[in-house]
Amino acid sequence: MRRTRPVVVGGISLAVAAIIFIVPFFFIFLQAVKSRSEASRLNFDLPKEWLLWDNFLAVVEARNYQLLLAYFNSTLITVFSVTILVVLSAMVGYVMQRRRSRWNGVAQVAVLIGLMMPPAVVPTIGLLQSIGLFKTMTGMVLIQVAYNLSFSTLLYRSFIGTIPRDLDGAALIDGAKPWQIFFRVVMPLLKPVTVTNIVVQSIAIFNDFTNPLYYLPGKENVTVQLTLYNFQSMYTSQYNLLFMNILLVTIPPLIVFIFFNRQIVAGMTAGGVKG
Amino acid sequence: MSGVELKDIRKSFGALEIIKGIDLDIKPGEFVVFVGPSGCGKSTLLRMIAGLEDVTSGLLTIGGKDVTYAEPSQRGIAMVFQSYALYPHMTVAENIGFGLSLAGRPKAEIAAKVREAAASLQLTHLLDRKPKALSGGQRQRVAIGRAIVRNPQVFLFDEPLSNLDASLRAQMRLEITDLHKRLGATMIYVTHDQVEAMTMADKIVVLNGGRIEQVGSPMDLYNKPATPFVAGFIGSPKMNIYSGAAAEGLGCKTYGIRPEDLTLSSESGRWSGKIRHVERLGADALVYFRVEGFGDMVARTIGSAAFQPGETVWATPQAGAEHRFDTPNPVAA
Amino acid sequence: MVEAQRPKRKSPYPLWFFLPAAIIYGVLFLVPTATSFWYSLTRWDLMTAEYIGLENFRQFFSEPFLVQGLINTLIYAVMTSGLKTIFGLLLAVLLTSNLIARGFLRTVVFFPVLVSTIGIGITFTVMMHPTRGIINVALEAIGIDGPGWLTDPALALFSVALVDLWKGVGLATLIFIAGLAAISPDYYEASRIDGATRMQQFRRITLPLVWPATVTVITLSLIGGLRSFDLIWAMTKGGPGFSSDVVASVIYKQYQAGFYGLSTAGNVILFGLIAVIMVPLTVMFNRREVEQ
Ligand SMILES: Nc1ncnc2c1ncn2[C@@H]1O[C@H](COP(=O)(O)OP(=O)(O)O)[C@@H](O)[C@H]1O
Ligand SMILES: [Mg+2]
Repeated sequence: MRRTRPVVVGGISLAVAAIIFIVPFFFIFLQAVKSRSEASRLNFDLPKEWLLWDNFLAVVEARNYQLLLAYFNSTLITVFSVTILVVLSAMVGYVMQRRRSRWNGVAQVAVLIGLMMPPAVVPTIGLLQSIGLFKTMTGMVLIQVAYNLSFSTLLYRSFIGTIPRDLDGAALIDGAKPWQIFFRVVMPLLKPVTVTNIVVQSIAIFNDFTNPLYYLPGKENVTVQLTLYNFQSMYTSQYNLLFMNILLVTIPPLIVFIFFNRQIVAGMTAGGVKG
Repeated sequence: MSGVELKDIRKSFGALEIIKGIDLDIKPGEFVVFVGPSGCGKSTLLRMIAGLEDVTSGLLTIGGKDVTYAEPSQRGIAMVFQSYALYPHMTVAENIGFGLSLAGRPKAEIAAKVREAAASLQLTHLLDRKPKALSGGQRQRVAIGRAIVRNPQVFLFDEPLSNLDASLRAQMRLEITDLHKRLGATMIYVTHDQVEAMTMADKIVVLNGGRIEQVGSPMDLYNKPATPFVAGFIGSPKMNIYSGAAAEGLGCKTYGIRPEDLTLSSESGRWSGKIRHVERLGADALVYFRVEGFGDMVARTIGSAAFQPGETVWATPQAGAEHRFDTPNPVAA
Repeated sequence: MVEAQRPKRKSPYPLWFFLPAAIIYGVLFLVPTATSFWYSLTRWDLMTAEYIGLENFRQFFSEPFLVQGLINTLIYAVMTSGLKTIFGLLLAVLLTSNLIARGFLRTVVFFPVLVSTIGIGITFTVMMHPTRGIINVALEAIGIDGPGWLTDPALALFSVALVDLWKGVGLATLIFIAGLAAISPDYYEASRIDGATRMQQFRRITLPLVWPATVTVITLSLIGGLRSFDLIWAMTKGGPGFSSDVVASVIYKQYQAGFYGLSTAGNVILFGLIAVIMVPLTVMFNRREVEQ
């Protein structure tokens, strides 16, 4: 008796939790394969006709292949900013962890501020305009780097603490220059946390809506999230296409998640544990 | 082959002085062991010689050249770390050849030197493995191999055997001694284990609290310890050491007698006491007893001796084996 | 004599490693943050800034809909943070117990964290449609007249907060699971021998020992809540009226309207709000951690 009750309670709450978390995704998929009129009913009826491919083509071709451009832009921004981010934050985390200097305190405060404070948007726009980076991909990439440095640095710093310092000493005796110690000895050993960083930051930057909204307006610069946002007002009567779009936006993180589940979990909890 | 000279070497971390003025002259080709309790500054001193720690003040020369402020790679030294510090992402061959590759040597030359070093350490069949796939002893050898290819004037070892089990440790002790004979290079070896110091060293440097207590050959330190600290540190089981009233009765501040320098008798002798415990080690036996008004005493005798706990035993120091010091015993104080 | 030449040796950890990051971060984050304090005191069109003293702030605190944004921000942050903490811990306890399909359920709960906020916002907006949305249709089926989740001004903010909970609780759960995993099973066995019940174990062992994770969850979700913009923007755009406006959406609206100085004042107020809440909280949490 006393043993069955927790099982029953657990089972029920699990079923509820599963439904709550799965139903919306099921809903997305269902709407995405329906015809226009079926989708407008917004219900759970199965479609008479599965229009997965037709809806996919319709979304891709919409507005002169805007979605493809958006994927291209988002990918470009993500790849460049994550690459820069990984190298720069590893360098900062490394020196912060290894060397005691009065700049450490400054760096620490900077990291904390970066984790906590929102950016000052309009002054940033003013500044980007004055240096010619407003509405440019370069500007967007650098903004993503600046805004995500703190989190990456935090991940790197705590991981570098687990790399024995004797390795640096051995390399120094072997005649390595400082940058060789870092790039040839330390950096290769950071692979696990680098993978975590790449995965977590790629998802964050790919999913980012607010920053492109402010700093990257304009048709030729659209990103995936902005496209989706714009489709929302455009497709008020074509829910099937709207949801096909959502489905397409959901798939990249799903794929990444399937392959890098462990690294994502490691990064999210590690970053969280000492915030 | 070159000597190493330290002149009033000091090291502070912030306001805290860790190394308090070391003067030392190490001859070319000598095997010198720094020994002392944990935390006395052995590693710090060695790392200063390596150039991994800045020297706060003093002068350091290697082969007659002032290297006090030289880069580690410019000092003609190689170091074997306690943790071995093998590069985990490189194969054994890459680990050994890393220094040469950084120096931009031709690939063929690197390969030849790596093969030569590996052969001398029986590592040839392991060259393509990563450190993770090696046993403790093999890692140790790779670390030594990495040191050898640098062809250094001075080898530095920081407790290289402390991560190995007892039997492997004994074997590696011999191998390192052999290496020293073969290469004839100067070697500085740090350990907290006095057995390692006694068995390997040409010259032992006993460190305590950032200062040198005594420098000498193993038998010098054993026979003529300069201070009660050295007397207590060198030798196993430890020397019996007495201070206070007991020592003053014998005309000194601190009095010491080694367990193996006591003759036991069941009838007569200088001191007597009731046996509390007998440890039989096989060839030897250690007899523990308490001398009233004097203190606890250990004596070493033959393994077949018939002493039993509860009996009364008499002990007499052998002639010329007593140690008298005019300094108080730092441990008792 | 030796002291005469003392070339300082170069550290193997050069400070110039900070430089590239410091330039990007300094120019694009710190400089705008610093100048925002000045611009918040001006009437500004990105070209010329005219000093008007505290006028922007006076306006911010006298316009009811702007004050509403400030209050909403607090409500939203406290509510999402509290709910994520409670449900995160409950889910974590559930998902660390011996259950079938535990791994799958962890995945299911965590996955929304990784999905586009805009996508989720749109999906729930549709599901919360007052008449055709599946939530109200389902409620109707069991005889309940569902409310206008996003159309009722009294309810909109709470509805968005619930979606935020749905999307974000997975991260809280993950952090709590890590925290629970760090508690040695010895404590539970020892207390079982001492005769503790399940409930006593939870209150006297689990809760205190999972405190560091709790601090993390509260801190992260509060910061997230105070800054949140995209979900609200995707679902209600601050409406109906200004009923679900938060400071971040006010900043955007004022920016769109060309009131750059006022928008920046909103930004400065948001800095202040976060500082006023997070600094004492962090100090308090750290102190409690030290005491333990
Ligand atoms: N980087 C450092 N900063 C402060 N103190 C240190 C540092 N390195 C070593 N010490 C201190 O110096 C003393 C000697 O350390 P070490 O040379 O490692 O001792 P040993 O190798 O003899 O055990 C210890 O008390 C240690 O705490
Ligand atoms: Mg040491």
